Amino acid sequence: MPLGGVFFIALFVALFGAFLLWLASRLGVKVNDPVKFESYECGLPVEERKDTKISVKFYLTAILFIIFDIEVIFMYPWALTFRDFLKGGFGLFSLIAMAAFVGIFVFGLFWEIRSKALEWD
Amino acid sequence: MGQDFVEVSINVLKLIVIFLLIVQAVPVLVWLERRGSALIQNRLGPNRVGWMGLMQLLADAVKFLFKEEFVPEKGIKVLYYAAPVVALIPATLAFCAIPLGHPIKVEAFHMLGHSWGPYVFPFQGYDMNIGIVFVLGVSSLAAYSLLLAGWGSGNKYSLLGALRASSQVISYELALGLAVVSMVLFYGTLNLSEMIRQQQGVLVFQAFGQMISVPWLPNWGIFYQPIAAILFFAATFAESNRLPFDLPEGEAELVAGFHVEYGGFKMLLFFIGEYGHMMVASALMTVFFFGGYQIPFVNPDEVYQNLTLSLGSSTLASVVTGFLHHLVFFLKFAIFLWIFIQVRWTLPRFRYDQLMDLGWRTMLPWALGNTMVTALVIFILNRSVGG
Amino acid sequence: MASESFLFWLVALLTMAGALMTVTLTNPIFCALSLAVTMVGVSALFVTLDAYFLAGVQLIVYAGAVMVLFVMVLMLFDLKHEVKAFTRGIFSGALKIATVGLTAGLVSGAIFATMRVSPPTGEPHLAPANDLTAALGQLLYSQYVFGFEALGVLLLVVAVGAVALARSKGGTHAGS
Repeated sequence: MPLGGVFFIALFVALFGAFLLWLASRLGVKVNDPVKFESYECGLPVEERKDTKISVKFYLTAILFIIFDIEVIFMYPWALTFRDFLKGGFGLFSLIAMAAFVGIFVFGLFWEIRSKALEWD
Repeated sequence: MGQDFVEVSINVLKLIVIFLLIVQAVPVLVWLERRGSALIQNRLGPNRVGWMGLMQLLADAVKFLFKEEFVPEKGIKVLYYAAPVVALIPATLAFCAIPLGHPIKVEAFHMLGHSWGPYVFPFQGYDMNIGIVFVLGVSSLAAYSLLLAGWGSGNKYSLLGALRASSQVISYELALGLAVVSMVLFYGTLNLSEMIRQQQGVLVFQAFGQMISVPWLPNWGIFYQPIAAILFFAATFAESNRLPFDLPEGEAELVAGFHVEYGGFKMLLFFIGEYGHMMVASALMTVFFFGGYQIPFVNPDEVYQNLTLSLGSSTLASVVTGFLHHLVFFLKFAIFLWIFIQVRWTLPRFRYDQLMDLGWRTMLPWALGNTMVTALVIFILNRSVGG
Repeated sequence: MASESFLFWLVALLTMAGALMTVTLTNPIFCALSLAVTMVGVSALFVTLDAYFLAGVQLIVYAGAVMVLFVMVLMLFDLKHEVKAFTRGIFSGALKIATVGLTAGLVSGAIFATMRVSPPTGEPHLAPANDLTAALGQLLYSQYVFGFEALGVLLLVVAVGAVALARSKGGTHAGS
């Protein structure tokens, strides 16, 4: 079971990174200067982030990504078993099932493109 | 993890060595990148510290260690420090799942009055049956590091950079995933070692009931799936935020993107993460499209048998075979890393709308089309065989 | 095997800790991040059940996509207001009590349900993991193919709905 290995190396890497950061924080010289702790904005006076308006496009991109990602995920088991279906004589059936699914996918994609949901300006 | 003490400790050691391999490759790559860019731009590049400037990044690392550590006052300390550490994990986990050489078979042996073995050690961190799904799944966690950094710094440019970076990463994950689907369709397996095994020998395929063989080409994935190869490679550039897709860092608009507030060693950890993603991408390119660790036209089992005959010990022969193939893998791998560097210093940066356009309206339909055409071709070729 | 059950308990505790932190922390960003930890934990639990493909899918879809969306969306809001709105007032008090009741019901229900299930006897019948993934595919695209196609339509509806919501009123991309 590779789970142990995965956990081990994840923990090891996290500890490695944390240790180096800790070491760096020990070794560095500390000089206190209030200006240093301000947000960096190219040296201009800092503008407070009260209501940073962020385009809703980011949200739209993320949710469309989830939807299409799920569709792509469903293609993995199909890709894996397509040859089995071919051998079993159900190749055409499997192909048409997936073609219909991809057809819906493509329709959705073209609808998104036509509705300009994916356009950034 | 393994059956007994020897196997477990070797497997653990292997994981650590692979991680250190990633870490130690970063100074070399940074050196290569700086010298390479200097070569391209007709400059000298770093040449003072060590031979040809090779020690430059080591000196830099020491300097980074002695830099001052501080958290910006608006930052959230936990997230601010977690981000660079989290940046290391996905790339390392993914790289550990990629086969880097021929598995090493160790015969049973006696040690400390106990008989051990026989063992088979895969030349990789862990052999996953779902190989590529695991790699994609773990790589998709990379977005957290960006978001943590963006939010944790408490700087609006960081936040904007992080949002841009993560939406870019997820946009290209679709085309990447679809390119992988067509490879899975072609190989009929999710396991990376199995994919490599299928690329043995010379180019041979079955079409309309006949075997067609091209003796002067190796049986590599790229000759079957060139479009998937291009899409995959382009998408990995976007995934690792490299030029021409380094919008998240757009200095002109965003100061430096999600890591504006980071300096010193934290920055170096982000660097290791980015180069780690590059390495994962190059390794996957090698595995999918260029025969993995195999020497072109040569069957690794034959190498092993010949070496067993000439060396006498089958364990030794297996070790030599493993490392020989690792060297071959490394050569192919290094070529892709160089392409990453070459492209960075050749192409200009995209505009953000162009980038999103390319991902959603060009690469996604092409990847989708490629997958369906692959399925259709497999269907037609196999049907004629049956008929 | 001892190491396997040790890993199971480790992962289970991690998942539970993530879930607990999701409901107890007040900062929405930290809640979302704990939920992400829970998702990774659930994926690891799938691995302990030899459901490798589901584990990968759980990572890609939930940990990699859904939670990234959550975190991204939370970052778009002014969170101070949200914290105030959901920590005071009669409505939120009633919600808290209802939540406690619901949780108690769920926990006791889970305990009763597990007590009634008798442990499986005999050797468990397990196929190699790769075959499980293939078996999943074979079932999905033969017996349950209608559900699969219906899912395609459902996802299309979701996509259209998301676009419609994002452009309906207010915001930077209103009208047009």
